Amino acid sequence: MRPIPSRLTGQRAGLGFLCLICFKVGLLSFGGGLSGWFYREFVQQHGLVDDEDFATSLAIAQMLPGANVVNLIICLGEQLRGSIGSLVCLASFLVGPFFSVLALYALFDRFSGFALLAIFFNGIAFAAIGMLMMTCIQGARRAIRFPPFAIVATVTAILVGILQWPLIPVVLALAPISIFLAWKRDRDA
Amino acid sequence: MRDNLLINLALIFIPLSLTSIGGGAAIIAGAQVQTVEVYRWISEPEFVHLFAISRAAPGPGTMLATAVGWEVAGWSGALVATLALFLPSSLLCYIVFRATNAHREKPWHRIMREGLAPVGTGLIMAGTISLFRISGGGLLAAVTACASCLLLYLVPRFPVVAVLLLGGLAAIATATFSG
Repeated sequence: MRPIPSRLTGQRAGLGFLCLICFKVGLLSFGGGLSGWFYREFVQQHGLVDDEDFATSLAIAQMLPGANVVNLIICLGEQLRGSIGSLVCLASFLVGPFFSVLALYALFDRFSGFALLAIFFNGIAFAAIGMLMMTCIQGARRAIRFPPFAIVATVTAILVGILQWPLIPVVLALAPISIFLAWKRDRDA
Repeated sequence: MRDNLLINLALIFIPLSLTSIGGGAAIIAGAQVQTVEVYRWISEPEFVHLFAISRAAPGPGTMLATAVGWEVAGWSGALVATLALFLPSSLLCYIVFRATNAHREKPWHRIMREGLAPVGTGLIMAGTISLFRISGGGLLAAVTACASCLLLYLVPRFPVVAVLLLGGLAAIATATFSG
């Protein structure tokens, strides 16, 4: 595939255009894989940022707390149009899903008399748990390459998921340990 | 009373926002404990139901907060929960991105990224465990979840909406045939 030149310094993406793209992805992106949608729109279709800018934005987005895709568009918006770009991308991206969730909720409420609908939504929840398992497997495969990381992931899962310790203190305690382990590995390598 | 409700919603989701390392799914376990067990706003089956709705809708999986907010306090609840979940992490991301994008090649940046990843994975595992425990679906839940996981593992490009749809249909089929 031909590398796409960065046009960051050349033309600027209009705010209206960014708004439109983010709104569209927000509304159409059923069932995750949203980063892939944005890759298509920002890199492949419109060449607004190049491959490398996109990859770094994604890495930062995944490292920091928050929904990865939301962090991603914050970074992309900032690169293209500064703070106002971030704000426009965030707002236009979230407005579609916000109303979709509520519409779906209302729809379910209206037809809650049908017993099968409740069963149907339970089945959806079960399948969605399977999707989360998939994410766990991908993360576990990365973590297993360095056993201390596998231990950190397991301990986090046990403390929060099984023993139901409060999530926030656990993260605040384990994150520095994990970063220290990464630093130590890097130094020893 | 109502103001307290909104403030409590914000107080639940703002800290979760800032600790949701690894993405939106990292908040599930925390949100469940707070809304179901600590505040007792919603029951366990309701929480699973809200999770299903948030996953069936487009957008990030984190829209769970919107559904929870709506369930607890209507329009204002939905708005407060959504903003409380998305704004703090977004602001943090904005600041960090501006401050560190120039240093992205530096080793410490990579070490931070590598070190935080396993915590994120652990949190998503915790969310999976919590959901499974409260879903009450037993064998059907386990089989459906494993089947959808296997399907996505073997056919990564399989449309996710179709996976969810199949899960729903499988549940209906089971209910129908088991009488």
